[in-house]
Amino acid sequence: MAEISFPLPDLGEGLIEATVLEWLVEPGQQVERNQAIVELETTKSALELPSPQAGKVGRIHGAPGDTINVGEPLIVFEVPDDTAGIVGTVPKDEAPKRRVRLSAVLDED
Amino acid sequence: MSETATQTRSHNNYTEPAAANDIQQLSMQQALNRALDEVLAQNPKTVIFGEDCGRLGGVFRITDGLQAKHGEDRVFDTPLAESGILGMSVGLAMAGFHPIPEVQFDGFAYPAINQIVCQIARMNYRSRGTLPMPITLRVPSFGGIRAPEHHGESLEALFAHVPGLKVVSPSTPHDAYHLLKYAATRQDPVIFMEPKSRYWQKGPVDFTAAAPGAAAHDDEPTNHGSLTGARVAREGRHLTMVAWGAMVARCLQVAELAAEDGIDVEVLDLRWLKPIDAEALARSVGKTRRAVVVHEAPLTSGLGAEVAQLITQSCFATLKAPVERVTGFDVPYPSGDLEDEYIPNIDRILFGIQRVLEYRRG
Repeated sequence: MAEISFPLPDLGEGLIEATVLEWLVEPGQQVERNQAIVELETTKSALELPSPQAGKVGRIHGAPGDTINVGEPLIVFEVPDDTAGIVGTVPKDEAPKRRVRLSAVLDED
Repeated sequence: MSETATQTRSHNNYTEPAAANDIQQLSMQQALNRALDEVLAQNPKTVIFGEDCGRLGGVFRITDGLQAKHGEDRVFDTPLAESGILGMSVGLAMAGFHPIPEVQFDGFAYPAINQIVCQIARMNYRSRGTLPMPITLRVPSFGGIRAPEHHGESLEALFAHVPGLKVVSPSTPHDAYHLLKYAATRQDPVIFMEPKSRYWQKGPVDFTAAAPGAAAHDDEPTNHGSLTGARVAREGRHLTMVAWGAMVARCLQVAELAAEDGIDVEVLDLRWLKPIDAEALARSVGKTRRAVVVHEAPLTSGLGAEVAQLITQSCFATLKAPVERVTGFDVPYPSGDLEDEYIPNIDRILFGIQRVLEYRRG
């Protein structure tokens, strides 16, 4: 297994921190992309943060009431090694499909 | 990243020396990681750096765990500035180091073209051999992973055109391991193009295989069968498909389909794109008398033209048909959604074969 850490993003324009209100997931839990994972409060608003990816939750950072700076680790996902690339998608090995058939008279001179 | 994370991610570093008959099933990512690990251990002058190469272990995890094992002085992160990464490589090489820089994606090589072309490729020439550039530039290359623009390119012709550079692209985990170790011991700069769509497929890596330097310090890829030349990936007698990098696997698929129609196709994995193993081309096409060269890069002035000329030079009298090229189109390498329309697919390659098969003189 590989780990992918997701740092707290800037949740507004130029915000520098956010306070954890409540975690909606716990370590060991499988989450889907866009599933709400945590309620956060900023100086502008309270909001639910969607998961940036699918995976198993490894660790979460910050208990309710704790303040986390933008850029610091918020949550760590565990993912299988073969999907651990950060950009792009692991290509699937598919059985080759064809429409073109070959035809030739081969003179074996 | 915490200590736990580092420990978790260092699982695929290898410390044990290769035993006799040591053959392991590894992905190309694992094979490259192991090669780098061994190069670092063997040569104290080796340094590895690039964007996210250190703490993260690379976006494709090729340098996974190497910083934790070999230290922050030898495996480290750089700013997002390719000209700086390659410029620093020049200085390090002049100071006696053996840099293995990484350009995170091939499309990011463009900002460093000045350092590659005007400095790295020429310094040895300019200094009358007193300042060699033993640099291995790792470039995750080609498409196939549905990445955004600039994350998939096919730059081999650009690099191969520059005097002073050597260019190589492995297509299997075994070749990746041995070619990278070989490149890292060269006194000349080597552009090491890793087919990123092939990072994850596993294959046998024979660690006991004779080092490619069976040809000792011979830099010329004329030693048939060794890693310094091309490789016959599949034998056949009716037609030779010439490919490199990710296209080798596709050509092997096509060869199987052609066999269903009674056409026996040889697949030649070129491996070295500069210099090209002209003898291997002559040997293969001299036998099959037909050739199709396949690459992802655009057609015009692509490396397929060079391959076609080399074949024509040696096999003109016996060729059954002009050398056919099946390539990408003359458009910018597209982003992920359009990849399937751009990269030579099975049917386009089969059409290329058919054109060669049905060609008649006069």
